[in-house]
Amino acid sequence: MSGFWWLLRAEWTKLRSVRRWTLGLLAAVPLTLALSLLTGGGSGTDLNDHPEELGPIGPAGVPVTDNRNFVHQPMAGDGRITARVLTLTGEEGFSHEWAKTGIMLRESTEPGSRYAAMMVTPGHGVRLQADYTTDLAGSDSTGPRWLRLTRTGDTVTGYESADGVSWNRVGAVDLGDLPPTVEVGLFAASPGRLAVETSVGSSSTGSIPVRIIGTLDNVRVDSTQPQPTAQWQEDDTSKGFVQGPVGENGAANFTEADGVFTVAGSGDIGPYVPDDDVTQLSLIGVNLGLVAMVAIGVLFITSEYRRGMIRTTFAASPRRGRVLVAKATVLGVATFVVGLVASLLAFFVTQPILRSNGFGPPAYPVPSLADGPVLRAVVGAALFLTLVAVLSLGVGAILRRSGGAITAVVAAFIPLLILVGGLPLTAAQWVMRTTPAAGLSVLQTIDVDHDATAEPWSMAPPLAGLGVLAAYTAAALAVAVWLVRRRDA
Amino acid sequence: MIRAEWTKLRTVPSTAWLLVGAVAATVAASAIYADSINVSGCLSPAECPADTTKLSLGGVQFGQAVVAVLALLAVTNEYGTRMIRTTLLANPRRITVLLAKASVVTAAALIAGALGVVGSLLAGRFILDGSGYPLPSLADGPTLRAAAGSVLYLGLIALLSLGTGTIIRDTAGAVTAMMLLLYVAPFALALVSDPQLRERLHRFGPTTAGQAIQATTDLGQLPIAPWAGLGVLAGYTAAALLIGAVLFTVRDA
Amino acid sequence: MQATIEVRSLHKRYGSTVAVDDLSFTVSPGQVTGFVGPNGAGKSTTMRMILGLDAPDRGTALVGGRPYRALRHPLHQVGALLDAAAVHPGRRARDHLLWLAHSHGMPARRVDEVIEQVGLAPAARRRAGGFSLGMRQRLGIAGALLGDPPVLMFDEPVNGLDPEGIRWIRGLLRALAAEGRAVLVSSHLMSELEDTADHLVVIGRGRVVADTSVPELLAAASEDRVVLRTSKRSEAITVLANAGGTVAATGPNTLTVSGLPAERIVALLSEHRLPFSEVSPHRASLEEAYMELTRDAIEFGAGS
Repeated sequence: MSGFWWLLRAEWTKLRSVRRWTLGLLAAVPLTLALSLLTGGGSGTDLNDHPEELGPIGPAGVPVTDNRNFVHQPMAGDGRITARVLTLTGEEGFSHEWAKTGIMLRESTEPGSRYAAMMVTPGHGVRLQADYTTDLAGSDSTGPRWLRLTRTGDTVTGYESADGVSWNRVGAVDLGDLPPTVEVGLFAASPGRLAVETSVGSSSTGSIPVRIIGTLDNVRVDSTQPQPTAQWQEDDTSKGFVQGPVGENGAANFTEADGVFTVAGSGDIGPYVPDDDVTQLSLIGVNLGLVAMVAIGVLFITSEYRRGMIRTTFAASPRRGRVLVAKATVLGVATFVVGLVASLLAFFVTQPILRSNGFGPPAYPVPSLADGPVLRAVVGAALFLTLVAVLSLGVGAILRRSGGAITAVVAAFIPLLILVGGLPLTAAQWVMRTTPAAGLSVLQTIDVDHDATAEPWSMAPPLAGLGVLAAYTAAALAVAVWLVRRRDA
Repeated sequence: MIRAEWTKLRTVPSTAWLLVGAVAATVAASAIYADSINVSGCLSPAECPADTTKLSLGGVQFGQAVVAVLALLAVTNEYGTRMIRTTLLANPRRITVLLAKASVVTAAALIAGALGVVGSLLAGRFILDGSGYPLPSLADGPTLRAAAGSVLYLGLIALLSLGTGTIIRDTAGAVTAMMLLLYVAPFALALVSDPQLRERLHRFGPTTAGQAIQATTDLGQLPIAPWAGLGVLAGYTAAALLIGAVLFTVRDA
Repeated sequence: MQATIEVRSLHKRYGSTVAVDDLSFTVSPGQVTGFVGPNGAGKSTTMRMILGLDAPDRGTALVGGRPYRALRHPLHQVGALLDAAAVHPGRRARDHLLWLAHSHGMPARRVDEVIEQVGLAPAARRRAGGFSLGMRQRLGIAGALLGDPPVLMFDEPVNGLDPEGIRWIRGLLRALAAEGRAVLVSSHLMSELEDTADHLVVIGRGRVVADTSVPELLAAASEDRVVLRTSKRSEAITVLANAGGTVAATGPNTLTVSGLPAERIVALLSEHRLPFSEVSPHRASLEEAYMELTRDAIEFGAGS
């Protein structure tokens, strides 16, 4: 393969020996930085001034969401709680795939305290969840199901059964330092459903609370030590509906009749998902940096056609496909290095500015490169720029004219994103999932519901979006190779 | 001299394509914008106010890119093919050459603009028919102003692009510069939330200010008045043309 | 590898124009082959087809018995100068040759050697955009020589060179051929090739018009003419015409006679005691021969 290595050296010599191209490529750094700084400087939040909107701090020291209706009694020492879930229905027919009802064991009723819960959900079957971040799958059952949580020391084990006799172990969690007496009971909660508000020219999404009603029977609490009390108490931190014994429409949120418990609640228990993705915000400048990448990627090939040097190139290397691949490789490596510099700089320089504008702890933890999603976003941003550069090379080889190629590729990003802002949600989603702009999704670090967001660059999963861009790049190169081989030089 | 420039422009096949493209892009994008009312779930104008005229004219946001490319090519192509020397031999009075180019390019842009604007309004009327929203109509004063202003807007964009092309002389560079000029400010608007910064972007960005001419409702709330906005764009255009003219006169061909 | 170029029945059309029509010829090593024809005759198209840049509709072009695109290390087998302007103006001359060298794993040292050989050493670090036409030609030639190939092709290498440059090229081409290489040089001016080419392929309207060595071509065109200087013109005309020759007055004291060998003319003039000061065989110039041949094949004539 020495031949290909020679080709690489030749193309690298070509790329580095035109000063304009080197400067143009490096321009991606200040361009990215400029837009990121502009965005960072121009964005702010005062969420940290409104702790009530923020939610409690969880066991890991970060904010969590803890909204549910928890009907409980204390349990001393090791023991277990068992119940059978009968039904799970949403009020007014509105439900959610992650609506939940079941049994819960908590350190205390303090919002944000440690817990383990066994539950039934309409869309994901039986789950064991704990401490706002752990989620283990049980069976697929959504029908009546027996659930059990057993506490031994600091470990809580979850079981399920179809008949109450033979039990399947779902999993166990270690809840750390549990006090001798914990609260056990029944709960109900449901995330809100998506509401898209479109004023014309923009969309925003919000959440309409869903009130979920669970009925359970065969509720038993067994423990090794005597119970302080068998009185059920209601701890309702539901969000969106009237809390306490009497709920909306006069219906109670908790009733018990002949051993059948009815619990109603709304809200979600889980990680706190902030509205803003601080890392994504800091990297948004790649939208401008890509313009430099497009220009150089296009010029790297069209300048050869413009001057006729393409004949010299193909005379020296008649295997034209390899020439194009060598160009793509050299361009890719160079743009990745520059892109990484741009991405890292944007990330580090914008952080303090964003923090001073309100995007700081506790609502927004400081992003760190040691964190997987953050690293993925930063490296992904560099990859994004690289893919755009190579895509431009392909388009340039196909069109052979610099003006048309630059316009075509740039138009697939910045102007398209402007257009997307005015599109209805489904159309915007389609565009942001199937066009090269999907690559911007890689900047996300927060796991959002991609169907429930109005931000164009959060409408696709990070790696999937980058994959779409990669597919376009590969296709453009493939077509370019095919054309270049067949055409006269 | 003008005839010479007109001949140059019309005998290049890409010109026709670009003009058609400009009109098509404008009308298509306008249709999409207008349709967003239908799909938005907005039930009535009272609940969900919308400036239907501005929406229907939104396509110029995209037609402007094609118009810009057409305009700058009128200059950068000559440099690329070294034909500029022949042109200047035929007429050494450089300002005259530039004026002739400007006239021809502006005329083309205005024609494409007029077709695009009329097409957009018709598409808007067609799409919004029955939605409960007022249909844009040229009989309406503000709408007429918005439409005529949009055509003028495209003419100014063409001249801005011509000036940029004269300054940069290289097709790739000029295209890149125009893309940045046209789209950075509106894009930043979509990103930043700080009201002060937003207002600045609205008032001082060439395209964001220029598009104020399209507003027909809530004129009191606008960050910049319609004609003033167009004036800002005119300012950018004048600067580009002036610098371009000076450089054109002074530099070697 | 055998240093030859073989073109067999090459045919290429662009749209409705036939650029090259059933063209066949061979370029052999050890001599300079001139590829001559009026503008638009198809020379550059043929060269591009030999180099695998344009695809012929029919026919083959082989270098050393193989098609160009099958060559593993083409620059070591064929060196070509097609278009001197095909250099990026923002790139330094040396860097242009450097990437070419890198594409075949050649060291930078080789680049400096060819730069020296073509006389560009002082300008090597300058950007090609500022080069004069002659300097760009030298750069292109350097590129062709880079791989030290046995086959060389130059398309209009003399274009834009000053007399000193032309002389240098001629010497270079002859030296290269003397080393045993096959050298193909194209031109639309025969005079450029006059003292350089050993063999000529004359092309007109895409077809081969002549494929001979230079002496043969000249002989065919010479037509046995004799130039005569005499002060007694009218008498000489009468005498020679009576003897069967065709006489034309080509100057105040000069006659051109055809149809009679030189000795016979001398004898006749002496017989009639007509003084003469010069009798010499008229050597047709390559130019005249070429004009004759391509008269019908000129596509863009001035209508004479």
